[in-house]
Amino acid sequence: MRKIGDIASQTGQLTEVHNLVPLPPPYDRVEDLPARKELKPEVLDRIDTSLDGFSALGLSRPQTPEEERKFIDRFLSGLEKLLSADNNWTFLEPLNLSLDHCARCQSCVEACPIYTASGHDEVYRPTFRSEVFRRLVNQYHKSGGRALAWLKGEDIELNAATLCRLLESAYRCTLCRRCAQACPMGVDNALLTREIRKLFSMEMGIAPKEIHDKGSMLQLRTGSSTGMNARAVRDNVAFLDEEIRDQTGLTIETPWDKEGADVLLIHNAGEVLAWPENPMAFAIILEAAGISWTMSSDLAGYDSVNYGLWYDDAQFARVAVRQAEAARKLKVKKIVLGECGHGHKASMVTADRLLCGDLNVPRESALVLLRDIVMSGRLALDPSRNDFPVTLHDPCNMVRMMGIVEPQREILRKICPQFREMTPHGVDNYCCGGGSGFAIMSGYNFADWRFSVAGRMKLKQILNAFADCPSPAVKKYVCAPCSNCKGQFRDLFQYYGVWEKSGILYGGLAELIVNAMADISQPYIKWEFH
Amino acid sequence: MLLIILISVAVIVFFAGNAVRIVHFLRMPTPLRWELYPIPKGPRARQRYGGSYFEQSDWWTKSPDTGRTGELAFMAKEVFLLRSVWENFRGLWLWSWLLHWGLYFYLLTTVLAVLAAVLRAGSFRLLHLAVLYGFPLACSLGVAGSLGLLVMRSLHPRLRGYTTRSSVFNLTLLGAVFVTGLLSLSDGAGLDGLVRVLLRSPASLGHYGKISQAHLALVAFFLAYFPFTHMTHAYMKYFTWHGVRWNDSPAIHDPRAAKRLAASLQREATWAAAHIAAGGPVKWSEVASDPGGRGAGRA
Repeated sequence: MRKIGDIASQTGQLTEVHNLVPLPPPYDRVEDLPARKELKPEVLDRIDTSLDGFSALGLSRPQTPEEERKFIDRFLSGLEKLLSADNNWTFLEPLNLSLDHCARCQSCVEACPIYTASGHDEVYRPTFRSEVFRRLVNQYHKSGGRALAWLKGEDIELNAATLCRLLESAYRCTLCRRCAQACPMGVDNALLTREIRKLFSMEMGIAPKEIHDKGSMLQLRTGSSTGMNARAVRDNVAFLDEEIRDQTGLTIETPWDKEGADVLLIHNAGEVLAWPENPMAFAIILEAAGISWTMSSDLAGYDSVNYGLWYDDAQFARVAVRQAEAARKLKVKKIVLGECGHGHKASMVTADRLLCGDLNVPRESALVLLRDIVMSGRLALDPSRNDFPVTLHDPCNMVRMMGIVEPQREILRKICPQFREMTPHGVDNYCCGGGSGFAIMSGYNFADWRFSVAGRMKLKQILNAFADCPSPAVKKYVCAPCSNCKGQFRDLFQYYGVWEKSGILYGGLAELIVNAMADISQPYIKWEFH
Repeated sequence: MLLIILISVAVIVFFAGNAVRIVHFLRMPTPLRWELYPIPKGPRARQRYGGSYFEQSDWWTKSPDTGRTGELAFMAKEVFLLRSVWENFRGLWLWSWLLHWGLYFYLLTTVLAVLAAVLRAGSFRLLHLAVLYGFPLACSLGVAGSLGLLVMRSLHPRLRGYTTRSSVFNLTLLGAVFVTGLLSLSDGAGLDGLVRVLLRSPASLGHYGKISQAHLALVAFFLAYFPFTHMTHAYMKYFTWHGVRWNDSPAIHDPRAAKRLAASLQREATWAAAHIAAGGPVKWSEVASDPGGRGAGRA
């Protein structure tokens, strides 16, 4: 069994992924899976993989004692700032509460899908990184900390290995917060994980390039983390309007920058490129329901993503303010967030106390608007068009962290005769395994870890939900009303060959509604585009 | 005399230490929201599945959710039944429950003994009986709980790696308090006797046996030690649960939100990463309004 102090070990790898929880047949055949990506020796020489053999960040270990000293000093400087009101007024209180009140009772550990999937690997225990971080804070931040740490037997050597492993470990948690639900004290390991990420990003400039350089920085520069500027997104959406006409015969022109509209719809812009059927479905539904709506071509006004939520308060605040400014400028009655979980939470919850006065434009979930439309009878719906097995994935950010549980279920119960729940579901759901940025992170060999460990419990859940109809001949649908989760399902299903072995397709909620619309002659869901 | 001084100092440290801790948290800046469902507020039907006000269209036009009763009921289950431990770590529950109830009974009987002494209620037989039987019960539960937890912490694979000297020390201290409490009964004083002497004629404490004195010394040490440990979770749950986990109050319904935000935005950030304040301190209002970040380069 690994000890907490082992994180400082100067040599070797802390653990190796090998004792994974078994998947049901035919997914238990390891030989059917793609080979794990072998990192080249020159890459292994350059980057740190000493946590578990995987790398999310491509972090280089300091090469000289001077570099190591500097690395440690920068961390300690960041630690001081993380625990100061001026630098961390945003989360200082919950951070301190979680640092000070853990009873180390381990009640939370079984709630973690990653720890469970890994076969209870100590390194993935949700309290492991929290305890390392807590001990570092106690030892190196508090007065008399070193002597007390020694006395208590809680001292940890602070070296480059400790820090590299701690940071990598912060990217082995999807911030799903199931462990926080289980804690009798209200301690939140996911918050501590996020604060560790934040320290490294905001003080040391270290974050995964997918969520910083190619994510929030790109969004602030161009307007979207996809890199689409306003002109590109308008061109792409105009193309989708044409697609709607070709597929359904409906003539729709997506409204842009319409002042005074009731609804400013902000999608995750990734939908436009990766799952265009989702924004198309929204356009069809809103037009058919007679909603006064618009999209914004202002910077960040057409992309609901806010990756700062996962790792950096400065980036978070900048994007949240840009999105609110776009809504204020158009004088809309409300912002409606499309099917993007973290976009929901970032805008409606975490940014709430950042946006005051006329910047606090009311914000609502698209699931609620869709529920109102479907239940109002404004659309002619034929549930027999959705007469195939459907299950629902609950995105953590919308459900566990926002309590939006029933609207999507009301819709599915009305339009999907074979709807069935996963176990567990609702606020107790398992994360898809792509949360907190993982769905867009595939650098080095991280994708292998994401598929084999992070997404494992979710895959088991999905297969169990369809256990009564396992044959690939029976087409089945996982409704995932979140772009990030869909990104994870796309990659996870491909990795395990889920379409070929089980005939399971994933997609959004709006697509199921349009598929049930009696006025549209052709089926909207295209099974062949799995 | 030394014991009297020790007890007096311990009581002062206990109250001052806890007060400082509470004030420290009360004075922290209002953080961003970080709630977690289920939250025991709002209509009961919605609470059952963990729903929130966000499920309503135009939620900002509706009355905000309230739910002191729901929160209190939830907290009562947590405090008296250790609901989360029962649901998530059944093997630990019994020992933890015994220890907690030992502490609750100890606190209760002490309060009753103080009442009896202050009211000079020697003739209140019920009060006397409650203390007479409550104190040994408290100590018995506490001994069983702390011993059980010590064994669990030493042997159970889920706990062993997270059991440090301080965990062992805390449980041993609690165990010693309860064991000496039980043994002090053989001195013939009983809790009400000890409390009466402490309050009315402390100078005569020396007449009591060594075990009773040891018990009081241990209690004094525990009181002084308590505010500096994680055991303050006893009351800090108010902050972790009510203040953070259940705090889903929207800013739109909070008239003081703008003032608090304005104060926070005036704070100076000194984060050294290139995209924040590498060039020197910068106000949070400037951080948030800086559209491109300060340079794209990463260290």
